[in-house]
This record gives sequence, structure tokens and C-alpha cells, in this order.
Amino acid sequence: MKGLVPLFIGVFGTFAFSWVGLTVIPNLQIGALNPQMDEEGTDIYPAPKSGMADRGRRIYAANGCIYCHSQQIRPEYASADIDRVRDAGPSPGPKWAERRSAPRDYIFDRPVVLGQERMGPDVANMGKAAPTEEEKPAAAPAASAPATSPAAAQSPPANAGAPKPGPTGSPAAPAPSAAPPAGSPPAPPTTAANPSPAASASPNPAGLPPAYSDAWHHRHLYSPRSMSPDNRDSTMPAYKFLYEKHPISGERSADALQLDGRDAPPPGWEIVPTYEAKCLVAYLMSLDQSHPLKEVKTAGGAPPAGSPPAAPAGSPPPAPPKK
Amino acid sequence: MTPTADIPLREPTVSAAAGDAEQLERARIDASTRVPVLMFYASAMVWLLIGTLLAGFVSFKLHSPDWFSDVSFLTWGRLRPVHMNVMIYGWASMAAMGTAIWLMARLCRTTLRHPLLIVTGIWFWNIGVLIGVIGIVMGYSTGYDWLEFPPYAALVLFVAYALIISWAVMMFRFRRGDQIYITQWYLLGAFLWFPWLYSAAQAMLFVVPVQGVMQAAVGWWYANNLLFLWFGAIGLGTAYYMIPKVIGRPVYSYHLATIGFWTYALFSSWTGMQRLVDGPFPAWMITASIAATILTIIPVATVGLNHHMTMQGYFPVMRYSPTLRFTVFGAMSYTVFSVVGILISLRSTARYLHFSQASIAYSHIGLYAFFTMIMFGSMYYIVPRLVGREWRYATLIKLHFWSSAYGVGLMSLMLLVGGLTQGADQDDTSMTFIESVASVLPYLRGRTVAALLLTISHFIFAFHFGLMLFGLGRTSTVPTFLNPIEAEGSETHL
Repeated sequence: MKGLVPLFIGVFGTFAFSWVGLTVIPNLQIGALNPQMDEEGTDIYPAPKSGMADRGRRIYAANGCIYCHSQQIRPEYASADIDRVRDAGPSPGPKWAERRSAPRDYIFDRPVVLGQERMGPDVANMGKAAPTEEEKPAAAPAASAPATSPAAAQSPPANAGAPKPGPTGSPAAPAPSAAPPAGSPPAPPTTAANPSPAASASPNPAGLPPAYSDAWHHRHLYSPRSMSPDNRDSTMPAYKFLYEKHPISGERSADALQLDGRDAPPPGWEIVPTYEAKCLVAYLMSLDQSHPLKEVKTAGGAPPAGSPPAAPAGSPPPAPPKK
Repeated sequence: MTPTADIPLREPTVSAAAGDAEQLERARIDASTRVPVLMFYASAMVWLLIGTLLAGFVSFKLHSPDWFSDVSFLTWGRLRPVHMNVMIYGWASMAAMGTAIWLMARLCRTTLRHPLLIVTGIWFWNIGVLIGVIGIVMGYSTGYDWLEFPPYAALVLFVAYALIISWAVMMFRFRRGDQIYITQWYLLGAFLWFPWLYSAAQAMLFVVPVQGVMQAAVGWWYANNLLFLWFGAIGLGTAYYMIPKVIGRPVYSYHLATIGFWTYALFSSWTGMQRLVDGPFPAWMITASIAATILTIIPVATVGLNHHMTMQGYFPVMRYSPTLRFTVFGAMSYTVFSVVGILISLRSTARYLHFSQASIAYSHIGLYAFFTMIMFGSMYYIVPRLVGREWRYATLIKLHFWSSAYGVGLMSLMLLVGGLTQGADQDDTSMTFIESVASVLPYLRGRTVAALLLTISHFIFAFHFGLMLFGLGRTSTVPTFLNPIEAEGSETHL
């Protein structure tokens, strides 16, 4: 080729084409979405996150959680994401999601942490998996049920062969009566055909906090492989550096971690989350895409009345309601 | 054998004997690039070793997570982006710029002016990478793939880049001869694309941040274009120079080269969104990228055919020439890279491969098997011309080649097969999630073995490069051949 001019024009032209096509035009299409609300201007979704949760997202990004956890649910026709249930917790575990993710779910996210790989489960609806307020009181009685309960079948006691000391009987223990099943042979994994409502909220019998509660997350971050025997293959690193070891002075801290076995601090000491850990957990608990969106079909149900049928991802989202 | 004080040029011995004005001129041009290019290579080597050690560490930690996990700056989630960014900005970019500047000077047939400006730029670039690494380790990673460096580090990199590349581009003004060789197109393209790409991504993510998922779109647009239009373009340009040069034969077809270049620029720049397949985006964006990925088969086919036809009948030269062996390996990996790219981005296969280790395999095939191998090849060619010594040990070069080739081959295989297992298990809802993790663990252990091979390979190369740098290479007019050369190979410029 002779002459620089055609070369320059071509080099600029091809790249400008891509830049406009893949960033500028999509930005016009989905780069200025508003939260969705109903006619009265209430029921606004999504809402900006609290300060702590927002800070938690920075911690989530900076410590590389994004490299193993995605935060995007693919549609039913393209994946099993919506059919998947979480491993931990009562059986059947909480579902990953009821619907696919849509651009509007992320409008307040910065940085947006969609993820690219799943060495760990998707966390787009992590907060939704948390036990609800009314379930929590039911947890204690259910925990003392025999190990053959469906809950125990789903997640048998940790290290059943080597009995662990139960919770040290502190008042902060979420399920103080959970010790008995430890040491008893794990129940055969029978199918949890008809979990009773009470059992569905029962915590792990090995003294773990109720699955996906605040306390559960803290313990999971501190010692991921202590959660249940199933979890021993987890490749999640422990984030012990987000926790502090303090001597107990007087009262035990309310947020001290319930730990046993190898992880337990020496007597007279306690492990408490740092502010960063609290932010991170607040962030995880804030993750919830369960609110229906007009542009997305929710699994097992028709889209909300008055909206067009399941818009494929290709169609532009409906214009936000104007005030 | 005693290394003399005047290491710089070998011009008197070679060219005087040959009585060749052109060779004299080449030696003069090489000499003008000597300091900056060697500095690029030396910095790149240091970053390569750091990145390699981190890679092994990170790979091991992924299947043995409790190893050194209690220290915040050694946690997996921080060291992984450090590894990636060190490799991208420390090793690959610096090696790329070193080779590109040398090629540019050679092809413009002009000496490099103001090398000191470039040297300043190299210092800035190194400092920028260092600042970025410290930022990530201290917990200030931005969380965007391949852009984890805090924005202030990016600013330093940008200043450095301006210092370096302005004079590389200015060489065009002083070029002699009308013809612009195909390599120069790729280099010129890369020189102009990179700053646009980098500043556009920085601007859209940090200066005037775009909303929500658009950040991810910009992020992947950046990452894939960096792979194709920065590393890929310089890699292909280098291959277009090295292959004909070593075998002493012109490129087979100029028309094919033209088609290959423009289709490459057009299609590969539209890839990226396929990494977000079925994500929360308008489907047309992802479909466009998938289509562009499929269309990259056109540049692959034309470039591959061109290289193949150039090499036709000269493949045995790979037995002797280290440069050719590495370069051809890289050029062939370019085909593999694109085919794997197509396979993992189709919607039907993405169901089983998305969110799995396969995407890591893809990045490694592109950045290592394709690009890095070509860079190794070019360094084997360029360094002796800068230090006036030949590579000392053919055995070390062979060891370097084979451990690199087997290392990256094993790694790609492990990650692709492991990724398929992992993805298929994730798609099977009768399996718990943790079972899908367990199923990929054996492959991750295999990948650590591959990382070990690559570590060996890089330390061998660094040692050999160090010998050259300190003037301990062979003083000889004959290049180092991998095998004793047989009679007839004399007309080639190995």
C-alpha cells in the first residue's frame, strides 16, 4: 500500500465503528435507565444501596470476589440458572433466582460486578436467600428435631465422625439447642419430599447459624470450609483478615463469631468482624433481584398485568414512567 | 572469547566483510534503538518473572485455598488481578513496545531519534505498573477486568505511553521509501488504537462513569480489543516481519495480507460482548459480537494461509532457527485462539462453557500461546543484533521452547476440558453446586503443573537473556542454531 492517508482513515474508521457500535449506541439505549415504579409513584425498584452496602461492594470488588462469583442470572432458555437452588440451608434450598437479570437491576451499581466465572455460586439474589424475620424464631425448635429431619438430610452435621463441641452456650448463639445431633451418624440423604414449614427454616444442626443469615455469612467468610461436610471442596479463601481477635472484656460482643473446632479462638478471646466485614455482609444481604420488572418475565408466572408479554432481551426496555 | 569493551555493534566485523552498505545502515539503525529496546526487554523480563511466580501462586491457591490466606495482601482475590495486570502491562505491553519500536525503525529505514525520551517513558511506564500493583495489593482494585489498576496509575501509564509512542510514530515522517510494509500497518494501527481504547475505557469507567451494566460492556469491549488490537496486532505484525526475514523469502501474497489486515481491524474490534453472553444486555449487542467473533475466521484464514504459503517448503528451517520456531508456533496458535474463541462464544456451547474455566483458557491461548510466543521469537532475533553477541546455549533455547509449548498446551487443555466439565455440571441441576466445583479441581491441579513448566521456561529464558545483557553471549558471526545445521541452509538469514 502506498500513502499514509488511506491507512490512517481506515485505522480510525474501523475502530470508531466499533467504539460507536459497542459503547456509544448501547449507552444511548440502556445507559440512562430510571428506577421502575407503579402508577402512584411508590414501590420503587431498584433503590440505591445504603452507605454500608455501597462500601461493601468496593470491598467485594477489591478483594476479588468477582473472579469467582457472578451476579447475573441468565434466562431460562439459555441456562439452568433459574432452576438452580443453593447448596446450604433447608431443603429445598433457596432458589438462585425467579427471573433473569435485566439492565435495570444494576442502575445504581458502581462498579458493576457482573462476574465472569463461577467457582462459587451466583450471588445476584444472595440477600433474598436470607431467612426472613418470621422464620427466625421458628429456627430454635426445629433445630432440636431428630437428625432424620429433611433439614438434616440436606446438610448433615459437620464432621460427624469427630464430634465437635457444641456452641459454648453463649446467649448470642442463634440455635443453642443444636448440639445433640453432633456425633450421631449422619442421616442417609433421603429426598426431602415434603419439608414442613418449620423445618424449612431450621438451621444446620451442627451449631451453624441459619443459612444465609448475617451470622452465617460472617462465619462463612471467616472459615468457608467449616460450614458443612459438603463444603470441604469449596475453593473459597478464608477472609480472616477482615476479622479481629479481641480478648473478651466483660460481656462477650454481640457480633462475635460462633466458631468451633480448629477455628475457635482460645478461651477468653473472641473473633469479631471489622467494619469492612460488616459492610461486605451488608452488601451481600442487600443483593436482591426478586422484585418483578416489567420488561422481564418472572419464572412460573405471567408478567405483571398491564405490561407487554415477556420482552426478549433485544427489545429496548420500556420508557420509565414520567412524573 | 574475552568480551571487549565496545559491546555495542558488530557492524565492523559483519558488514565490512560483506561490504554491504545496506547492512551497515541496518547496524546503525539497530544501534540507535539499542538502549530503549533493551530497556524494554529487561523491564519486561523482570515483570514476566514476577507475573510467572504470581501465576503459580494463584494457580496453587485456587485448589488449595488455605495457603497463605490469612494475610490481606496475599489473598487470592488480590493476587489474581496483580498477576493479570503484571502480565498485561508489565510483560506483554513492554515486550510489545520494544519489538514494535525496533521493527518500526528497521522498516522506516531511519534511526530512532530522541531515544532518551523513550527511556524516560519506559521509567514512567514501570513506575505506573508498580503503582498499580501496589494499589491492587493494598485493596484499591477498581474491580473491572484488566483495568484493575487504580485510575492514578493509569494516568502515569498514559503519560509514559505518550512519551514512548510519539517518537515511534514520528519515525514515519522520516521514513525512506514509499512502500509501507504490512508489518507497519499493524504497528501503526496498534499505536493509534491503544491510546484511544485505553482513554475511552478510562473515561467511560472513571471520569464520566456510564450507568450500570454499561460499565461491564465497556470493560469487556476494552479487554477484548486490547487482546486483539494491541497485542494481537503487534503479534501479527511481528510475525509478518520475522517469518519472511528468517527464511529469506517475501510474503506470499500482498493481497491476502491486505484482506487479512482490514478484516482483522473490522471484525476483531467488534468482539467482546460475547463474554457477557445471555447477560443483562440487549441481545443485539451480544449477537453482534458473536457474529464478529465468527467472522474473525476470515482474517485467520487469510493470515494463516499467507504465512503457510510463505513457509511452504521452508518448514525444516524451524529445526534450526529459534526465532522461526517460536514465531510459527505463535502464528499457528493464532488460528487455535480464534477457533476456541468461536467455540466458546456460540450461544449453544456457551450454555456449557460460559462462567467456566474455559474463558481463562481463551485468554491464555491469546496472550501466551499466540502473542507471548511471537514476542519470544522476536527477542531471539533482535537481542543479538543489539548486543553484538549470539545466544550462548542452544540447549537453553530448546528447553525454553519445549517447556513453554508444553506448558501452555497443558494449561489450555486442562482449562478447556475442566471448564467443560465444570460448565456441564453447573447446567445439571441434579448436582449440587459444590459438585461442579469439585469436578474441576483435578484440572486445576493439572494447571498448576503447567504453571510450573512455564516458570521453569521463563527462568531459563531470563537467565539466558541476562547473559546476553551482560555481554556474555558468544562472539561469533554465525547465529545460534538449535541443531547443527546441514549443508544447504546457508542462503537463509537465520
